[in-house]
Amino acid sequence: MVDVSNHTLVPDHTLLDDGELEEVLEEYNIEKTDLPKIKRTDPALPKEADTGDVVKITRDSRTTDQAVVYRLVVE
Amino acid sequence: MSQQAPQEIGQLSFGLMDPEEYREMSATKIITADTYDDDGFPIDMGLMDPRLGVIDPGLECKTCGKHSGSCNGHFGHIELAAPVIHVGFAKLIRRLLRGTCRECARLCLTEDEKREFSENLDRTRALGQDLNDVTKAAIRQARKKDRCPHCGEPQYDIQHEKPTTYYEVQQVLSSEYSDRIAAAMEPDEDSERVTPTELAEETDIDPGRIQEILSGDFRPREEDRKAIESALDVDLTEEDMNKLMPSDIRDWFEAIPDEDIEVLGINSDRSRPEWMILTVLPVPPVTARPSITLDNGQRSEDDLTHKLVDIIRINQRFMENREAGAPQLIIEDLWELLQYHVTTFMDNEISGTPPARHRSGRPLKTLSQRLKGKEGRFRGSLSGKRVNFSARTVISPDPTLSLNEVGVPDRVAKEMTQTMNVNERNLEEARRYVSNGPESHPGANYVRREDGRRLKVTEKNCEELAEKVEPGWEVSRHLIDGDIVIFNRQPSLHRMSIMAHEVVVMPYKTFRLNTVVCPPYNADFDGDEMNMHALQNEEARAEARVLMRVQEQMLSPRFGENILGAIQDHVTATYLLTNQNPHFNETQALDLLRATRIDELPEPDGVEDGEEYWTGRTVFSELLPDSLDLEFTSSAGDTVVIEDGELIEGTIDEDAVGAFGGEVVDTIAKQYSRTRGRIFINEVSSVAVRTIMHFGFSISIDDESIPPEAQAQVDEAIEEANERVEELIETYERGELESLPGRTIDETLEMKIMQTLGQARDSAGDIAEDHFDDDNPAVVMAESGARGSMLNLTQMAGCVGQQAVRGERINRGYENRTLSHFEENDLSADAHGFVEHSYREGLNPKEFFFHAMGGREGLVDTAVRTSKSGYLQRRLINALSELETQYDGTVRDTSDTIVQFEFGEDGTSPVEVSSSEEEDAVDVDQIADRVLESEFQDEREKEQFLGETREPTNLSEHADDWWLAQSDD
Ligand SMILES: [Mg+2]
Ligand SMILES: [Zn+2]
Ligand SMILES: [Zn+2]
Repeated sequence: MVDVSNHTLVPDHTLLDDGELEEVLEEYNIEKTDLPKIKRTDPALPKEADTGDVVKITRDSRTTDQAVVYRLVVE
Repeated sequence: MSQQAPQEIGQLSFGLMDPEEYREMSATKIITADTYDDDGFPIDMGLMDPRLGVIDPGLECKTCGKHSGSCNGHFGHIELAAPVIHVGFAKLIRRLLRGTCRECARLCLTEDEKREFSENLDRTRALGQDLNDVTKAAIRQARKKDRCPHCGEPQYDIQHEKPTTYYEVQQVLSSEYSDRIAAAMEPDEDSERVTPTELAEETDIDPGRIQEILSGDFRPREEDRKAIESALDVDLTEEDMNKLMPSDIRDWFEAIPDEDIEVLGINSDRSRPEWMILTVLPVPPVTARPSITLDNGQRSEDDLTHKLVDIIRINQRFMENREAGAPQLIIEDLWELLQYHVTTFMDNEISGTPPARHRSGRPLKTLSQRLKGKEGRFRGSLSGKRVNFSARTVISPDPTLSLNEVGVPDRVAKEMTQTMNVNERNLEEARRYVSNGPESHPGANYVRREDGRRLKVTEKNCEELAEKVEPGWEVSRHLIDGDIVIFNRQPSLHRMSIMAHEVVVMPYKTFRLNTVVCPPYNADFDGDEMNMHALQNEEARAEARVLMRVQEQMLSPRFGENILGAIQDHVTATYLLTNQNPHFNETQALDLLRATRIDELPEPDGVEDGEEYWTGRTVFSELLPDSLDLEFTSSAGDTVVIEDGELIEGTIDEDAVGAFGGEVVDTIAKQYSRTRGRIFINEVSSVAVRTIMHFGFSISIDDESIPPEAQAQVDEAIEEANERVEELIETYERGELESLPGRTIDETLEMKIMQTLGQARDSAGDIAEDHFDDDNPAVVMAESGARGSMLNLTQMAGCVGQQAVRGERINRGYENRTLSHFEENDLSADAHGFVEHSYREGLNPKEFFFHAMGGREGLVDTAVRTSKSGYLQRRLINALSELETQYDGTVRDTSDTIVQFEFGEDGTSPVEVSSSEEEDAVDVDQIADRVLESEFQDEREKEQFLGETREPTNLSEHADDWWLAQSDD
C-alpha cells in the first residue's frame, strides 16, 4: 500500500494532545462532537489515530499561506 | 386588540400523541355521519358541529366565541369501535413486533446488549448521525434470538403484509402428516421400503402409536414429530399464519417496559408504542375542511369530510353488529373496512391499496396528499407561494437607461403601489396623488384613514377624498420614477439573478433594461420574460438599495471579478475607437461624448489640415478616473497602458471593459467604488453606441468570401489531406501501421486520420484568414472578443471540418458503413463525416447529414445537462441553506456544528478576491501603498513615517523657525 500522507497534495494531519484539544474547544466554545468529522479509515490519518481523537490539518492556502482545520476521528 | 405580541418559539418536539390528549383537546365527540339537517343547520355532534369552529361570516364560534377569521377552529374526536393501525407507523410497528417477546413483551436483548446499543445511540446522537442505523441494528440483533432471553418463550417470525396486516408465522404439524409419512416410507431410488416396525424402533415410539399415527388417528407431539422427520428425512410441518389483530398488538405494546423502548431511540416520556394503534381519531376542525356552496345552492363537502363520513358510518355499523352478536367473520370484515377508511384518511396513495374515490371517480385528496409534493403544503404553500405586488412581462432593451434602472410600463406602475405615511411634510404631495385618481399615472389606488378603514380611490371620489387626506393617513400611491423594485429572471441560479433596480415609468407593455445587465440575468430579448416585485416597507427598500442594487452586484462572487461590463457591439465599438486610434474633429468628438457627463473636450491632440483633432484614445480617456494607473495585455494582443487616467497605448476591448473580468472595469469597481464603476460602464456603453453609429458596422456573406486563388489553395490543402488519409489507410491495410503506445492499431489509425484532417482544417483556416483585411467585421469581432472566434471564421470561409459524435468520427448508421452510399468498411474521410466545404460554399447532402448528427448530439447534451444541473443545484442549495457565518468567523449549521473554522478557510470575500489562478489572490503591497497614500497628505510626512527621511533635529528653541520651515511647509 502507498502511504498517501507522503504525497504533496495531502496536507499535514497531526494528532492533538489533551491540552491542545482543550484550547481548541475553549476557543470556539464547542463540544468535541461539534467539530467536523473524519473517518478513522481515512488513509491520510496518522496510524496511531483512534476514534475520538482530534486531528489538526494544516493546509497550504493561496490567500492565507496556511489554513488550519480540526477534525474529530469517527468510526 | 386581536394582535398579540410576537412570541418566540422555544422548542418543538415531535412524538406520538396520547389518545387521552386527543379526548382532552376535543371540543366534541362526533357520533353521527350527518352534516346538516333539513333546514340547513349543522347537526350537533355531527361532522359540522358548530363547536368545531366557524366558517360562515357573522356566526359566532360555540367554543371560543370568536368570529370566522379569528377562530382557528377546534378539533373533535371519534371513538373508534375497535383499535386500528396508524399507517404512518406501519414500519415501526413491524420493528417492535419483531424485536420484542410475544409473551413478556420485553426487548429480546440481554442486559449487556441493551447497554451497548444505548451507548451507541447516545454516541450517534451526539455526532448528529442517523439514529435509524443503530435502532435497526438493535432489532436485527433481537430478531436473531429463537427464545426470549428473559422468559424463555420461543419467538416466531412476524410477516408484514402491506399496508397494515401482521402475521405471526409458526411451524405446525401439517394436516397431511399421515400421507407424508406413508409416502416417505415407500421405497425409491436410494432407499429401501421402511416398515412401521423399523420406524418404531428407530424413533423409539410405541409400534401401536405408529399405527395410529399412520392412520391419521393420532397427531404426533413435537418431539415425536421431530424423531419421525429425522428418521425418514421428511418435513411434516406447514406454515401457520396467525393474524395479529390491532387489539392484540395494542395489548402487546402496552406491556413493553419503558426502559426497553429507550434502547430503540423512543422517548418514553413523550411516546408510548401502543399509541401507534389508534383508539380515538381526532376530527380536524371545519376550518381545515370548509364546505363550499355551489351556484345551485347545493353544498359540496371537502374530501376530508367525505372520508370522515365513511369512517363514522363503518364505525357505527361495527358497533351495531357487535352488539347484535354478529358472527366473527362479519366483524372481521367490518374491522378491515374500518382500517381501510382510517388508512386512506391519512394517506390515499398507498401502494397495494386501491385509493378511496369520489363519486365522480376522482381519488380523494386526504391528509398526506395535502402535504406531499410540489403543490403540497410545504413546497407549494410555505416555502413558495404566490405574492401580491408582483408583475411579469416580456423584456426589451433600452440603452438610454442606466444599468441601475428598469423601465416599467405605466399600466404596471398604476397597479403596483407603495404606501405613503402622510404627515405635514408630504401632505400636499399625498393629496395630489389621491386627486389624480387610480387611472392617471402618478395617482393612488387606496387610502387608509387613521381609524384603520381602507377606502378605494375611484375616478368619482378622488377629488373629494383628496380634500380629506390628513396626516396619519396612509396613501397607496402608484410606482413613480426612482422607486426601488426587485427584478428577477428564472432560473435564479446565482445571487445576481435577483437584483434591485430603480423604476423609470414608461409607455408600452414591456420591461426595459440596459443591455449591460443581460449577462448576470443571462437574459436576451427573444421573448424572455422577467418578474418584478414592489417592496412594501421601508426596511425592505433600504436593504434592497444598499445590498441588492445592480451596481452593488457588479462583482461576481463566483470568480471575484466584474460580471457587468461592455458586451457585443460595445466591445466592437471600443475596439474601433482605440485600435487604430482614429482622429475626430471637435463636432465628432463631442458627439461621441454627448451622453456622458463630459461637456468639455481636453486639449486637442494635434492639428490636421488646419483643423484640430482628438484621437479615439483621448476620447476614451475622458471616461477614466483621473488617477487610474494600469497595465495589461488586451485580447487583441497588444499592451494596454493607462497612466494617470490617460490611455497611453493599447486597444480597449473585451479584456479591458468586457463583462466577466474586464480589467479596467474590475479595477475601477474595486479601487474606487461601485458607483464609479457603474458610471464608467454606463458611459462606456453610451460612447460605444455613438462610436459604432459613427463608423457604421455591418456583416454580410460577402465578408466571408475569399478570392478564387485562395479557394484553390484551400481545395489543394484538403485534397492533400485526403491523399494522406488514403496513404494511412493503405499502410493500415498492408498491416504496416505502427501502433502508438497504449493504443490498438485501429485506434492509432483513427487518431492519425483525425489529426491529419484537423490540420487540414486549420491550414484551410489560415489560408482564408490571410485573405481577410484587419477591418473585416468578422475579424474585428473575433479579435476584440465581441462575438465569434477565428474558428467560426475558419468554418465560414475555409472548411467546416470533421464532425464528431461522442468524440469520434462518425461510425454509426448501417452495417459497416455510415450511409448506404458508401462501400462497406470504407475508412476514407468523406465516409466518416469530414465536411470539406465551408459554410459559405454550402454543404453537400452527405456532409449536411453528418453535420446534423454532430449538431444533434450538442442539443441532446444541453437538454440533459440543464435538467441534471437543475436538480443538482436544488439539492446543493437545500444542503447549504442553513449554513451561516458566525460573529467569531466560523461557519456553522443550525445545530452549531462547525463547517469551516474561518469563512472559506481564509476569511476573504469571494467578491473582492479574484479566483483566477494567474494573479495574486490578495495584493498586499498594493493595499499597503494605497493605505499609506491616503494616510499622509504630503510625501515628506510619509517618508518620515516609513523611516526613509529623518526628522530634522531641533537643538535649540532659537532654531524653531528654521525647524518648522524644514518639517512643515
Ligand atoms: Mg431568450
Ligand atoms: Zn372557535
Ligand atoms: Zn419473554
